[in-house]
Amino acid sequence: MITSLIKFLRRVRAFVIRDFQLTISYKLEFFIRIMSILFMVTTFFFVSQIFVGSVNTPFAQWRNPLAAWITGMAVLNYFMTGFSSLANAIRSEQAQGTLESVLLTPISVPTVIVASSAWDFVQATLYSFLYLFFGWLFFDVHYEGSIFLALLFLVLTTMVLACVGILSASFTMVFKRGDPFGIILGTGSALFSGVLFPTQLLTLYGGNIVGSIPRLLPTTYGLDGIRRVLIEGQSFSQVTQPLVTLLFFLLALLPFSLWVFGRAVRRAKREGSLIQF
Amino acid sequence: MASTIVRDNSKSGSNIADAKSSSPARAIAISIKHLSKTYPVPLARLKQFFRRKMKQPVEALRDVSFDVREGEIFGLIGRNGAGKTTLTKIVATLVQPTSGTVTVKGYDSVREDERVRAQVGLATAEERSFYWRLTAEQNLLFFARLYGLDEAQARQRISELLERFEIEELRARRFAELSTGNRQRLAMARAMLTRPQVLLLDEPTRSLDPLAAARARSLIGSLARQDPPVSVLLTSHNLTEIEELCERVAVISRGQIRALDTPERLRTLHTPTERIHIFAKEISVANAKNLFLQKFDEMEITEKTGTLSLSFTRKIQDNRLNEVIRVLRDAGAEIVSFDVERATLLDVMESYEREDEVKAV
Repeated sequence: MITSLIKFLRRVRAFVIRDFQLTISYKLEFFIRIMSILFMVTTFFFVSQIFVGSVNTPFAQWRNPLAAWITGMAVLNYFMTGFSSLANAIRSEQAQGTLESVLLTPISVPTVIVASSAWDFVQATLYSFLYLFFGWLFFDVHYEGSIFLALLFLVLTTMVLACVGILSASFTMVFKRGDPFGIILGTGSALFSGVLFPTQLLTLYGGNIVGSIPRLLPTTYGLDGIRRVLIEGQSFSQVTQPLVTLLFFLLALLPFSLWVFGRAVRRAKREGSLIQF
Repeated sequence: MASTIVRDNSKSGSNIADAKSSSPARAIAISIKHLSKTYPVPLARLKQFFRRKMKQPVEALRDVSFDVREGEIFGLIGRNGAGKTTLTKIVATLVQPTSGTVTVKGYDSVREDERVRAQVGLATAEERSFYWRLTAEQNLLFFARLYGLDEAQARQRISELLERFEIEELRARRFAELSTGNRQRLAMARAMLTRPQVLLLDEPTRSLDPLAAARARSLIGSLARQDPPVSVLLTSHNLTEIEELCERVAVISRGQIRALDTPERLRTLHTPTERIHIFAKEISVANAKNLFLQKFDEMEITEKTGTLSLSFTRKIQDNRLNEVIRVLRDAGAEIVSFDVERATLLDVMESYEREDEVKAV
């Protein structure tokens, strides 16, 4: 068991080193990305200044809209990586033509997919941290509560989204393009998970049916939990409801996504289309 | 007339000399049994439901069976689309067979695919199988890590291989900056990172200059003789290369193995005759005609710039050549040189292809 874990981690390390080397071969892109995060945070700061002195909202997490937006963007960035990176890893290797040579090494296809998306998570961690860091450094945004509890939410939600990512990767493996999971969750999460505005507004303006959509999305619970901890300073006992809901999502999605993925790999091997794109 | 000839020489007890074969009792490295592969129509049921036009499923391999022995260089020849790549990919576990089995060093290519991949190295002429923005060394290090080599082992092995393939000065160059030939050498180096016991080589010398190609052939030849020996499944359109290197050759046409034997025997079975040209001096045309035309009625005798040329067709290994040489010597002629024209593997391949075309019509 431990030997297998060490082997797995070594493979992940190999992919992370490779992707780091590839990333630094495009130095300019890396700096432009960092600058764009700073510009985004600055933009949110100026938008938040419109509401200075006039914010009298019943939504506790939104009394400091800048803090809510920054955490929303940081977490959304991470969540998007969670469900898009696995499918992207497959597509990118297929498009580069390197998937065949990687799959010729004695590692399993699931290991290839998880390991080749590891660098995306490293990058997402850095970029998400930069959202929070720039807010704190330049715009005096302060975070409350336990950082570990916030991390627990982050990890749990990312795992749930990685399950959706596995479904997405399975779809990519068979159909090559047009992954519906990525499209629906990518666009849906920004609108329905409360990234830029409170989800309660959806019920207020859209009625009960539209208002219930956020409850179907794991990102809603992840984001809500993280904001409750970081902005409202809530403790573990106060955030058990979103935590348990996320656990249910994970228990339902993990075995299902692995089953679908196994079938997708077998099908691609049967059709001889594993390396086609 | 060509027909399907599949023969295992280790059991045939033939008296035809097979200079390249060594021990007849070698273990089996790759075993292919009744292998068939039909590529299904993707999403056939969905297309049927929407009543969309469907292509027919592609039958890439049909009931293919043969073994590759330990330390054997086994050649696979056939036209584009004959099924060579599908066969290689099934052995490499990249494609699943429709029926039949492939075992590599005793491991099943479907059930024990990771173990099979640990035994196999594949080098293709596909340039896109590397990361173009990484250097030659970074590329090899990445794959060495995936094969489970530790850092020190990997670096040492990479240095050895770069030196062996004479590209050590290119280790810090980006893959994109390498010439096609050097990319191919790097692909060979990658295939040999873990000292695999089975090598699958798909046109390994296609883009190499003649000198580099000769060195690569010499290297491939030496792999089979090293300890432990490497078994090589070699596909190539360079039939001279196949003939030079391979102990046995399989001719594949339209997914079927049409012939399997030593190159020598394949040629003999295809055309049991050969054309001999003898060039001699110190003998006139008239004298030669007088000596030979009665006995060898099909002999062509000509003269060019003082050298006599005698051409005749004989059954391979009959005694006519000895007889002609003896007669020439008795007549005081000086034999300058001689040349033998035999059927080539290309002739063999073409004959099966023609036969299949006729059948298809």
